[in-house]
Amino acid sequence: MAVQKSKINLTNVSKAFATKDKTVQVLKGISLDVCENEFLVILGPGQCGKTVLLNIIADLESMTSGEIQFASGKPKMGQLGVVFQRYALFPWKSVMGNVEMNPKLKGVDKRTRRELAQKYIDLVGLAGYENALPQQLSGGMKQRVGIARAYASESDILLMDEPFGALDAQTRYQMQAEILNIWERKKRTVLFVTNNIEEAIFLGDRIILLGGTPTSVKKEYVPDLPRPRSYTDAGFYALRSEIAANTDLAL
Amino acid sequence: MKQSTKNRLYLLLPILSVLTLLAVFTLLSSQEGTLIPTPIEIWKRFWDMMTIQISKATLPVHVWVSLKRVLTAFVAAILLGVSLGVFLGWSPTFNALVSPVFEILRPIPPIAWIPLVILWFGIGEMSKIFIVFIGSFVPIVINTHSGMNSIDPLLINAGLVLGANRSQLLVDVALPATVPAILAGIKTALSGGWMCVLAAEMIVAKQGVGFLIVRGQEMGDMSQIVVCMLVIGIVNVLMSTCLTKLEGVLCPWQFKKAK
Repeated sequence: MAVQKSKINLTNVSKAFATKDKTVQVLKGISLDVCENEFLVILGPGQCGKTVLLNIIADLESMTSGEIQFASGKPKMGQLGVVFQRYALFPWKSVMGNVEMNPKLKGVDKRTRRELAQKYIDLVGLAGYENALPQQLSGGMKQRVGIARAYASESDILLMDEPFGALDAQTRYQMQAEILNIWERKKRTVLFVTNNIEEAIFLGDRIILLGGTPTSVKKEYVPDLPRPRSYTDAGFYALRSEIAANTDLAL
Repeated sequence: MKQSTKNRLYLLLPILSVLTLLAVFTLLSSQEGTLIPTPIEIWKRFWDMMTIQISKATLPVHVWVSLKRVLTAFVAAILLGVSLGVFLGWSPTFNALVSPVFEILRPIPPIAWIPLVILWFGIGEMSKIFIVFIGSFVPIVINTHSGMNSIDPLLINAGLVLGANRSQLLVDVALPATVPAILAGIKTALSGGWMCVLAAEMIVAKQGVGFLIVRGQEMGDMSQIVVCMLVIGIVNVLMSTCLTKLEGVLCPWQFKKAK
């Protein structure tokens, strides 16, 4: 792989939570680079602090120590695309209302933001569902709305926090193929968090494996497998076994 | 059992239960020397009251007088109650400042205010309205406040990463998320307010359904009392039905389930 421009750089990011009688160190000295337009997967067992890490990058939580640098300057709120695990759609807003939320909050006029939102609704394959309420959609469709909404922030960085974690297995496979498809068409720098090894190998340009207590970077993997990858491929399986052997079991 | 048979049964059972009640009622009331008016007497009395004036008003006018008191107080209670609840939920400082006072006043039954309110406002309209206000204000504040407190933090985070500033977060995220809780509060408040107006009217009033009941007691007119009791129940049912309809219009996302 050619040398790529770094988009986000994390240096020694640590996070500790203070509880009643002690401090719990969650993240310790996490350093990593996210390259421009790459699909970077952060893989780690449940409860290891992956979401905390993503929230820190999204500026929803503070870090105890460390530094995060963005190549294009620290983004303000609303300048990052974020996809949440439990969709986090506004139930009172239609698909259109959800997707156009970011430009609306920025004060973009109605026609422009509708056009923009429509573009991304089409991109995720939800044309015809603009007026549906989230409640009326299946889990997979809800997360498509979530992805379109993140895209509509027109950010070149997308943070995805276990976006397919709440989906059933079949929909999950389908959405994994779909997110790559969307990403191939509209390249963004993607930071994708998951606890699922197969999902990580299927999706990632690179995989950063987290582990240990407190959580730190354990190892980096670069799947040398052409896309679309197949779960039944021998190389896929070998990498899967390698990562699995190196993964801490979540309690 | 087949589904269609079941459905028919479920339609039939409510009718059966009302008929049974009516039958038992008739049986008891037609005994010699009972103090219960018969359904026919009640029905006749009802039609009399629709046309004959008691204290310068027919039954519909009395109902309207009571309703007007409730609705006036209600508008004030919604405006002030929702604002207070929202601020309690939105600002921890305001909450710490105001909550203790509210918590002390909250458990006092609205009816306990009546003597004081009469001393303050006399026996005019204002005293009744004030009692209803107290009775409906409290549940609206409590529901709005707890609705604000139980907003899914994920939705707040979503609002933040989408770029909402603090006032946008309140208007575009927190308030809509709280609407169902506010409506639930309004529902509770409406039946609470309706009870309060009757209590207030029973103590001091020249018109209204509560006044009619007391007048019935003074006259020994049991039919009139029962007519009023039934009217009170029916009006309450009608009001909640309207509110449920309103709920469907204002927050369809609470009701439209996945296809």
